[in-house]
Amino acid sequence: MMDLEVDENDLKAAGAELFAEDGRRGIRINGWVIETRRHSILNSSTIQEWEQKLDTSHLPEMVFGENTLILKHLGSGTKIYFNAFDALCGWKQEALPPVEVPAAAKWKFRSKPSQQVILDYDYTFTTPYCGSGTIESDKDLDERGISKETSDILWEDCKDQIDVVALASKEPILFYDEVVLFEDELADNGVSLLTVKVRVMPSSWFLLLRFWLRVDGVLIRLRETRMHCVFGGNTNPIILRESCWRESTFQALSVIGHPFDSGAYGDPSFISQKLPIIMHTTKKLYNLSCKKQNSLGKRKCMERSRRFHYHSH
Amino acid sequence: MSSDLDRQIEQLKRCEPLRESEVKALCLKAMEILVEESNVQRVDAPVTICGDIHGQFYDMKELFKVGGDCPKTNYLFLGDFVDRGFYSVETFLLLLALKVRYPDRITLIRGNHESRQITQVYGFYDECLRKYGSVNVWRYCTDIFDYLSLSALIENKIFSVHGGLSPAISTLDQIRTIDRKQEVPHDGAMCDLLWSDPEDIVDGWGLSPRGAGFLFGGSVVTSFNHSNNIDYICRAHQLVMEGYKWMFNNQIVTVWSAPNYCYRCGNVAAILELDGNLNKQFRVFEAAPQESRGTPAKKPAPDYFL
Repeated sequence: MMDLEVDENDLKAAGAELFAEDGRRGIRINGWVIETRRHSILNSSTIQEWEQKLDTSHLPEMVFGENTLILKHLGSGTKIYFNAFDALCGWKQEALPPVEVPAAAKWKFRSKPSQQVILDYDYTFTTPYCGSGTIESDKDLDERGISKETSDILWEDCKDQIDVVALASKEPILFYDEVVLFEDELADNGVSLLTVKVRVMPSSWFLLLRFWLRVDGVLIRLRETRMHCVFGGNTNPIILRESCWRESTFQALSVIGHPFDSGAYGDPSFISQKLPIIMHTTKKLYNLSCKKQNSLGKRKCMERSRRFHYHSH
Repeated sequence: MSSDLDRQIEQLKRCEPLRESEVKALCLKAMEILVEESNVQRVDAPVTICGDIHGQFYDMKELFKVGGDCPKTNYLFLGDFVDRGFYSVETFLLLLALKVRYPDRITLIRGNHESRQITQVYGFYDECLRKYGSVNVWRYCTDIFDYLSLSALIENKIFSVHGGLSPAISTLDQIRTIDRKQEVPHDGAMCDLLWSDPEDIVDGWGLSPRGAGFLFGGSVVTSFNHSNNIDYICRAHQLVMEGYKWMFNNQIVTVWSAPNYCYRCGNVAAILELDGNLNKQFRVFEAAPQESRGTPAKKPAPDYFL
């Protein structure tokens, strides 16, 4: 796996501790526990269960159903996590119309077999997913003690930007990992890939969730969500979340002088800056303790985090 | 001549590629053999059927460990030898050298990746360029792909093909009339045989949401098997976590022979052994252990991604 040589002194200086056990690895740092889990793709029977739960008969060819990245802030009970199930709930909900491959033009002239059914689900598995999150808080039950209450995290629009300059500084990386959530080869017509990677430095953590789609000869789509959290003394963490969607057709790329052949678009990092942005948002984790002080009016600008929760872990 | 070939086979078994001139000569010899084969190549039992390999050379060596060496074991490979894995060159050349050395003990049929267009996107072209510094070896190999048979028929009872059925094909004789010596076309019967998939949710024919690519249901398989008097269809083409999968009341089986596909899926692989009486035994196997692979696992350096 992605073991990396971390300087013990860097860890010690940051008050951090690494851990690793059966498919789980991670770091404890500044009141956070950050971990990844990595397993095999789903087996046939679990695929069937998921198909029922998601009310679909099609899932990506490779669903890494138990792979996850979890970032837990112990003090506030804030938990941000990423998994394939929630991402696929987003795919089901967005339900984009299918994209035709170049050969489809020719196929329209083929003689149709009798009783032909045309399937029309979004085989690209495009998802608006930008992560899952909950806050576990103590609820005072008067005399009867305290119970744990879990609520979805909320994000509010903000003007702040992720501090790219600070992130570009070569602070030591204490923990780094990347996990695949799902992947499909579009039956050899391209690639659909959802991954999340994280790096943890002494002063902050940073992650990138990336949905990468290439339909050969047709379309390139890149949906990225970045989150950055600078460690601070606050009880509530300050997390910025930037989502950026980029998209272009092969046609449009070739018009501006980029290659038309799919082989040139193997790695999204090379093409990313050349793709036009079609959506960009920056949000900040809404601070629960402020909620109590604020009027209901404030809630209007809240975006309820998508309710894609998978409770049967 | 055969001692030369034996030396080349030994070399390829160590995952060392041949020289460009040797590849050229090997491909010429292979062409002479393959051109004689039928589009529905007859295969005798006992035989061991293998699905996709995808350039996972060290995992194919596991396959031979489990299934026995060729020529002692008679093999049928259902295509997709190349692309995606790190060793498409060595994988395909070893299979081809075995074919030339033991033409009656190994049958290779064509998968959808045995094509000029697909290999330029999914790895084999780049690998040839990297290992030889030119695309000549890719040219020799893709020229040979055009000669690979399209399907096999085991003891007249088991029909084997890479992808599946075609609405343009209802009898094996219709397959026999295809002029196969060409790049895989984008549509038509030859394309379907290499590309189509069985699908639970349709009964007859389905069209993929991509607008190209057929899906076929249980009743299509029933009527094909019945009219051609075959017991079942054996195909590859789709990843199966368990290595093999029956569908439609055991009328069709998918066999997948690339364990831990793309070096990260964690799936097992399978081969199907048929004895002289066509009794079936699936042999399931895992990926080659890390230490038996030529190169150590790369540890990607932490990356200052933004």
